Amino acid sequence: MNLTDRTFNRLVLTALAVGFAALTAAGAMAVWTVSRNQDHAQLIEHAYQVNATIGRYQIQLERAETARRGYLLDQSDLFESEYEASTGAAKEALDGLQSLIRDPRQNQRHARLRALTRLELAAMGQSMRLARLGDLGRAQAIFDEEQSVRALFAIRALSEQMTSAQDVLLAQRNVNEKASLLLLYLVLGGAGLLLLLVGLGSAWAIRRYFADLASSRDALRDLNASLEGAVTERTADLQRANDEIQRFAYIISHDLRAPLVNIMGFTAELESATRLINAHFTSAPDHSPGEVPGPVRLAACEDLPEATGFIRSSAQKMDRLINAILRLSREGRRSLNPEPLPMNPLVKTVTDSLEHRLGERGATIEVEQALPEIVNDRVAVEQLFSNLLENAVKYLDPARAGKIVVRGEQRGNRAIFEIIDNGRGIDPRDHQRIFDLFRRSGAQDQAGEGIGLAHARALAYRLGGTITCDSTLGEGATFSLNLPAVYAGERIES
Amino acid sequence: MNEHLPVNIVMVEDDEGHARLIEKNIRRAGISNDLRHFTDGASALEYLYNDPEGPAHAGPALILLDLNLPDMSGFDILARIKSDGPLKRMPVVVLTTTDDKVEIERCYDLGCNVYITKPVNYESFSDAIRSLGLFLSVIQMPDGHGDR
Repeated sequence: MNLTDRTFNRLVLTALAVGFAALTAAGAMAVWTVSRNQDHAQLIEHAYQVNATIGRYQIQLERAETARRGYLLDQSDLFESEYEASTGAAKEALDGLQSLIRDPRQNQRHARLRALTRLELAAMGQSMRLARLGDLGRAQAIFDEEQSVRALFAIRALSEQMTSAQDVLLAQRNVNEKASLLLLYLVLGGAGLLLLLVGLGSAWAIRRYFADLASSRDALRDLNASLEGAVTERTADLQRANDEIQRFAYIISHDLRAPLVNIMGFTAELESATRLINAHFTSAPDHSPGEVPGPVRLAACEDLPEATGFIRSSAQKMDRLINAILRLSREGRRSLNPEPLPMNPLVKTVTDSLEHRLGERGATIEVEQALPEIVNDRVAVEQLFSNLLENAVKYLDPARAGKIVVRGEQRGNRAIFEIIDNGRGIDPRDHQRIFDLFRRSGAQDQAGEGIGLAHARALAYRLGGTITCDSTLGEGATFSLNLPAVYAGERIES
Repeated sequence: MNEHLPVNIVMVEDDEGHARLIEKNIRRAGISNDLRHFTDGASALEYLYNDPEGPAHAGPALILLDLNLPDMSGFDILARIKSDGPLKRMPVVVLTTTDDKVEIERCYDLGCNVYITKPVNYESFSDAIRSLGLFLSVIQMPDGHGDR
């Protein structure tokens, strides 16, 4: 992922976080608005309650007045008890009203109302008492008193005033409630809009991530497929090249043999002819000195055998080289059978076979315990270790006690083995060259044709591995063998 | 003791030098039978099947066959001889430079009677040919004519 992508992603994440925070704030605000709304509703209800109480008070007072009038006309107990009940209820309503109202002006009005009520009730009580005592005339007089009527009117006006004041309050509270409701709707709408936006944003971001993921997965799959194809193709190419080389080596070695048979054959014929001539000259040295001049004798007895000797040794060397090539080519055509190989016993078999030569040179081989186990062709792996260890023993430094160490470790799906010696070492210039066929390095004081390492490398390649050399001249050499932990086998050759 | 063996030796060998060395060593083994040499497959087959003096019409013969010929493979000649025909019982000695296991097996599968590798080392070579000569001197030949 590049930098702009990363910045963009950070931006998207920040935006989403801000969106969610705003959503939370909107939720909190909605809760707050709802509770405020409830407060408003309560206030309105309270106003109604006040109005209702005023109304009750008025009705009860009127009822008491009506009951008094009834009593004045007909002194029945029914009117009296009605009067008592209504005055009690009116007083009660008045007390209730006092506990409800908090507005100072309303409180003033209430105090006046209370005073007027007391006055009126006193007047009414007086007339009731007089009527009960039978003094209907005075009772009537009190009833007719202008003062009483005025008090009643004042009470009515005051009640009206209070109710209308309460109505004003109610209207105001209604407006407030509506405003708060509107606010609630706005907040809820805003929150809804925000929710929608955040939701859309999240959905978009998620979709984008999924699209990214899918496209990178597709890209990866394509890459994988093309890589596999490339590897298969490359492997096939390598296999073809290898087959070509094997066939070439095989044909060359056979076709070179035919002329070699002639060279060797006729050299031998020449030698036997020379021997005859030699015998002739040596058996009769002084027979006829005049007939055979010195140079002729020299040619027959020395030059001819010398020449045939060189021809013979060269042809023999050529034969060895051709045989080596043939062996390599044959090894390359042998079919491989991968099997699980416990490496410690395998290396021990190889070192045991070198015991005699190690004894001769006073050298030791130390094999690290627990070499990684691999799956590969037994014969080929044995051959590899045998070549490398033989090489190590062969080129030990006679000046010091030889010590060879075999180490191994598994790295991922590769097994890496190291054969470390303290021998004479290899010039860094020759680190590649020694793996070439017939090429050798350093003093040519050991028998050999320069085939072992070439063979080892060809084998390592064939087993899906590599082989490298690291060495300092005079200090020893380390050969690293890198093999697959599990060799899957090669295609079946015809 | 070999003079009475009426067997002709037919040598199919493209390398003149090899032919000369083989002949020399056969003669040194005391074999004096008539020896015909061909350097290519076509003329050898012509002689074997169509020549009035050839083994298909005249007496028994033994063939020394090289596998590497310029015009055809020795396997083809071997297969032709050993397939049904007047010469299928004729002994065939394959004498070649190849010592590949697969090729040797293939020759025997095709019906070759003896397979000899020409050793590069001349002492071994001449020993092998002389042994072949001794073998020829004791070999019992089938009737040269075809059985049909």
